[in-house]
Amino acid sequence: MLQARLYVSRRLVAYSCGCAVLVALVAPTGVTAPLFLCSLLAIVIALDQTPGRHRHLDRCEQSAPLFGRELARAKALVPCIAATLATLLFAITQFARNAPEAPTTLLVVPPAVIACALTALSATTRRGPTKALYVLLAFATSAGAYALAVIAHNYPAELAFCVIVAFLALRQYGETLARFDPI
Amino acid sequence: MRDASFASATARAGPLTLDLEPGARVALSFSSSQEATIVALMAAGIAKATTGSLFIGDYDPRVQSVHCKRIAGFVPHEPLQLDEGDFPRYIAYRAALWNLEPTAAQAYARLLHERLEGMHEAFSYPLIGALIAKPQLIVLDRPQPAYAAQILRAVEGRALLSTHAQPSNAAAFT
Repeated sequence: MLQARLYVSRRLVAYSCGCAVLVALVAPTGVTAPLFLCSLLAIVIALDQTPGRHRHLDRCEQSAPLFGRELARAKALVPCIAATLATLLFAITQFARNAPEAPTTLLVVPPAVIACALTALSATTRRGPTKALYVLLAFATSAGAYALAVIAHNYPAELAFCVIVAFLALRQYGETLARFDPI
Repeated sequence: MRDASFASATARAGPLTLDLEPGARVALSFSSSQEATIVALMAAGIAKATTGSLFIGDYDPRVQSVHCKRIAGFVPHEPLQLDEGDFPRYIAYRAALWNLEPTAAQAYARLLHERLEGMHEAFSYPLIGALIAKPQLIVLDRPQPAYAAQILRAVEGRALLSTHAQPSNAAAFT
């Protein structure tokens, strides 16, 4: 299922990685650019999992004997992997440029983008203002992680914040998928 | 199904009462494509009836949807855009979703592919994907009447429920 989802989103994943490399080549120092860029990419890839965008895959998954939590875990891996890959490529480009913040990017950005992607996934099963609210929440998650890691310089707190948000977001996404009506 | 109906802000179907015995074939015709799709989704345990009762085997999709989906296979109306070279990968994907043994699923899929000779891949692949799990019930959402003979041959002794938007199309499946 993960392979199939990554395959149908392959162009988007490739564009995201390309975008991360390009921005890393011209971005100013600091982790602000990678954190917010990769969070944005995570949200875009998460929104690509919206039911109806890949209709046949959706129907196959809906008709398969899977529990909501199994479906949620599999679908959640797609934006997490894609956003983490974009982050890695960003950091590799920074290493290639001998940028001193490359290790910080690797330390700070992945937990933030994963929490952001998992929060944004809940937007895919909603419409209208509620959908916009979840996208804003995803951005707020990244902003919270940024505040803890960059402004407060407290990496353990950022990691703990992201783990808690990711756990709650994935759990809620699974429950929503179990109740989700495809019509 | 006993007075099973579906209602949301944008869609409505039923109420419908239907008993489908093992191995029986029923083709239902509806006034709109949307209603046909909703009934097919309800019959496959994918959409939950908002009123009335619906059982697939002994299971209620509202509380035991996973059990229902092991019994019922769903074939959507939309054609699948895949090349012939993608067939093994598609079957591997479907087999993984249903937790089937991959080699046996591929072998059974090839057998079904031969049985469905003459049917366009865009319509035969989703049917094969549903049949490899050997469900007791196959639910077809607005199948192509031109392929009725091949579909009925491939489904063999399984119960078959097809929904249609035109009575003439339903006649081909009875």
